[in-house]
Amino acid sequence: MMQQPAEADALFDAARRRVKRRERLTPWLMMAPALAIIIVFFGLPTLYMARMSFNLHPDQRLYVPGFTLEHYLSLLTDPLFTGALWTTIKLAFVSSIFTVLIGYAFALLVWLQPAKWRFAFIALALCPLLISEISIIFGWWMFFPKNGLLSYALLSTGVIEDKISLMYTEFAAFVGLIYVTLPFCFFILLSIFDGIDKRMLEASADLGAAPFRTAWEVLLPLTRTGILVAFAQSFIWSMGTYATPSALGPDTLWTVGYMIQEQMLGKHNWPKAAAFSMVLAVGVAIVMMFIRSLMWKRTSFHA
Amino acid sequence: MAEAHTAPDAPALELDRIRRSFGNVLAVDDVSIDVAKGEFVTLLGPSGSGKTSTLRLIGGFEELESGAIKINGARIDHLPAYQRDTATIFQSGALFPHKTVAENIAYGLRMRGIPKAEMPARIKRSLEMVRLGGYEERYPSQLSGGQKQRVALARSMVVQPTILLFDEPLSALDLSLRLQLRSEIRRLHDEIGFSAIYVTHDQGEAMAMSSRVAVMNKGRIEQIDRPDRIFHAPANEFVHTFIGESCCLPIRLADGKAADLAGAPLALRLREDQADGDWRLYLRPARLKLGAQAVQTENRLAARIHFIEFLGDFHRYHLKAGALEFFADQPGDLGHSIGTEIDVGWQSADMRLYR
Repeated sequence: MMQQPAEADALFDAARRRVKRRERLTPWLMMAPALAIIIVFFGLPTLYMARMSFNLHPDQRLYVPGFTLEHYLSLLTDPLFTGALWTTIKLAFVSSIFTVLIGYAFALLVWLQPAKWRFAFIALALCPLLISEISIIFGWWMFFPKNGLLSYALLSTGVIEDKISLMYTEFAAFVGLIYVTLPFCFFILLSIFDGIDKRMLEASADLGAAPFRTAWEVLLPLTRTGILVAFAQSFIWSMGTYATPSALGPDTLWTVGYMIQEQMLGKHNWPKAAAFSMVLAVGVAIVMMFIRSLMWKRTSFHA
Repeated sequence: MAEAHTAPDAPALELDRIRRSFGNVLAVDDVSIDVAKGEFVTLLGPSGSGKTSTLRLIGGFEELESGAIKINGARIDHLPAYQRDTATIFQSGALFPHKTVAENIAYGLRMRGIPKAEMPARIKRSLEMVRLGGYEERYPSQLSGGQKQRVALARSMVVQPTILLFDEPLSALDLSLRLQLRSEIRRLHDEIGFSAIYVTHDQGEAMAMSSRVAVMNKGRIEQIDRPDRIFHAPANEFVHTFIGESCCLPIRLADGKAADLAGAPLALRLREDQADGDWRLYLRPARLKLGAQAVQTENRLAARIHFIEFLGDFHRYHLKAGALEFFADQPGDLGHSIGTEIDVGWQSADMRLYR
């Protein structure tokens, strides 16, 4: 008789352990399909690239298996490469800030509009996404040169006396980049605005806050996560892109993306291209983690 | 602003023939109300009657087309919402989700430049008033629906506005909470004596809390009076049908004799000067007597029981008398079955005629 409760306890413990184990396994099983795709199509290529970046490149061959740190060292010491790194960061940073500023203003306007205008604005914002990046670049080639649309428009309105060309300037590169990232930024921010009860703005005014105070104390904190996400996506995008800045910017505007392309296809130096790609990927990951740390600890204000 | 002086004996709020339309719909049509200091006035009406629009005009969230709004005798209709001495309790509560309860309540105090040192005591007092002492550090997402509305109430009351504006604050809550909060708002009004405009479509709320009720319909005020007068002396057919339940019996008068529309005579005791023609006769279902109780009433009909509904506190007898269909509420089961002939009666004071 004395044994029985102990036996029951043991059985009960075993059952509880089984349930616990299953509970631990459930989230992994649920993630498995997504995880498999990420490992096969993202994890393995990245590992392969990491390995490639340590290979040798003694002659015209694409690479020779081996181990060296020389590609990474040259990235840190060669002013050509460090310059490209800084150019890329500057370009991505400045264009992302402007993207978020313009996107925020546009999303705010659409959010405050009556619903009947909404669809028109959203359709307008979708347009650039329907056109390939290359076609958009051709569009800018019609827009920026001396005999382009911009020059004629400024001339005919009397803003300038003589034809000007903004083609192949950093300004053109910024405009091109912002144009590419803006639609995504707009949709991210609009979805954040849509989650805010508009009565919140009225409540703030009702309690005596002037519009600027309401923007600072209510609107900005409630959209902070959206601003950071929008900035992150546009930053990542402009860090990696190379077609737009190299097609619109000056010849000396060497970005990391351009360098990778040049090492890979021009100089047939796969290990160096891989090393540069790794630096880019790790750099973007670090920026992402930093931005994540700026977000509210609580992911949602709604219960 | 020469006219912006405040008069000490002026009403807390005056609406003088205010008007506002959306597209070609006149949402607020020539509305005038005075709210005396300490008075609790309810705007009651069906949805789309203009009650919320009226409130939003007072708060400054909609622009006035014509008319004037005065607070303490000074015109405020040209001021933006943030400069008006009003505070609104919204239907959704509209608490700031990124601020704690204490920060939410402090918001209005900060905007009014109240010294920081005074704030904790005032916040504590206002939270105790709504029975949420100790909830200072919670976030709105950690509160229940009823608690959120209490915080919204505290946040509006703490700034001591000349007039509090309630925009259906209880309509999103479940019944028992609604009853509990409405008696608490009533208690706070009795204790503090604030002036308020309260918008609702719930006549129970309107009756229970108000000094006066304004019944609104299609942007206009149909009647504004004490709750008991609204119920017992409705000014017109709309107020009569909107307040409480009533049955409508279409009848025809000819030579002082009543008949239903099929021509069957009805033994009604009407005032003798009632004009001939088609009329609508209204009865309150709770005032109808059935069976033996009907004997002593002034007006009587023989009806047949069509069907019976059990509604908890009472039984509802759906009746047919010739072409007339109506229903009577009885506290208990009378033991009659469907199809039984039964006498229905009522006192003349309990019926009203409109046409």
